[in-house]
Amino acid sequence: MINRIIRYSIIFILLLLLQVLLFNNVQFSGYVNPYVYVMFILLIPVDIAPWLLLIISFFTGFIIDIFTSSPGMHTSATVLSGFARPYILRLISPRDGYETNSEPSMFFYGIRWYLIYALLVVFIHHLALFFIEVFRFTEFFRTFLRVLLSTGFSTAFILLLEFIRRGK
Amino acid sequence: MKNLLNFLTKYSNLILFLVLEGIAFYLLIKGNNYHNSTIIKEIRGITSGIERKISNTRSYFHLREINQTLANENVILKQKVEKLGKNEDLSFFQVLDTIRRQQYLYTSAEVMNNSVNRQKNFFTLNKGTRQGIQTDMAVISESGVAGVVIGASQNYSVAMSLLNLDFRLSARIKSNGYFGSLAWDGVHSNTAILSEIPQHVAFTIGDTVETTGFSVIFPEGVFIGTISSYEKPGGDFFNINITLGTDFRKLHYVKVIQNTMKDEQIQLESVYQ
Repeated sequence: MINRIIRYSIIFILLLLLQVLLFNNVQFSGYVNPYVYVMFILLIPVDIAPWLLLIISFFTGFIIDIFTSSPGMHTSATVLSGFARPYILRLISPRDGYETNSEPSMFFYGIRWYLIYALLVVFIHHLALFFIEVFRFTEFFRTFLRVLLSTGFSTAFILLLEFIRRGK
Repeated sequence: MKNLLNFLTKYSNLILFLVLEGIAFYLLIKGNNYHNSTIIKEIRGITSGIERKISNTRSYFHLREINQTLANENVILKQKVEKLGKNEDLSFFQVLDTIRRQQYLYTSAEVMNNSVNRQKNFFTLNKGTRQGIQTDMAVISESGVAGVVIGASQNYSVAMSLLNLDFRLSARIKSNGYFGSLAWDGVHSNTAILSEIPQHVAFTIGDTVETTGFSVIFPEGVFIGTISSYEKPGGDFFNINITLGTDFRKLHYVKVIQNTMKDEQIQLESVYQ
């Protein structure tokens, strides 16, 4: 248990540094802002209690908010994706169900499963995040395009990190 | 009672979700006061330490360019001094302080933290109220308008960048004097849109756009950018795309401008408006 907490803390710090130092400085045109820290919510074990997941998501977003000085913005998006994750997992569960204590990883359940899983969670997160960021529905499709493109890029980077994580 | 307990246990996750979202939105709406709360101040101490390290590293990489711009600016200033010196030789009477009035005071500051990839961008300066920075002061870079100070603590201040959808600036085309409202286009870090210029106005691509000085924040005639393209959206007005002079991606040293007569002007205007 303690081991697991330490492991997740290290993963969290690495993702935080990656987001703050690298991805917050990335801008391909005005449409793509990858937020790879969402991967932390993806990595939490499958059978975690939903309330604990909500609280973890809350603090994930809160810490990112402090670093990007955007109060409440990331927090509301991560809480929403943390809330949606159990439903997504149920929706796309493999035929034999999930193994107890397993991480939702690409190498347990296959790349196709992981891709759908990551896309759904990241999409919900980005949808909330970008619309809360502009806080208006004028130019709806421009914001929506930003959501779609950023979701694609974030998911691609998350898949890449998932490969690297396995390689270690 | 039992039903109530059943209800609570059944929907406990939904309730927790709503509570946490409530907190998040409370933070979101409280907005700028966030920087002032004590807990955040403590944490800001840690994050600003990290931000300073990043900023230091970045400034090292930009040293060559910064030296170049500073040298250019020195040349311009030296020429101005030269001109002033010659004028003084020619004049015979003494200049009285009460006649000369200096409306704008300048101070330099360093950008500690900056973003260009959000819809509402802000940057942090390394000077605060102790160094005389107050809210509603103009921030310019060596090559154009950069933003407006919106909050200051003792040693730091936060400015709203021009790259912020809430930023509005009164701007005019230098060649003909017609003025309109300038706002960021929300996509490119070097493009803004000048609107409210009537369709009968003649201008050419490449014309300079500068501030008007109608607001009490920016002095008149500060360079903003040049016209890159325009379109007629069908109404009575042009939509003019402006290429901004300031490169926000490498914003590092800025000047903060204080209008010493701001309060006087606002007070007088409030009587009649």
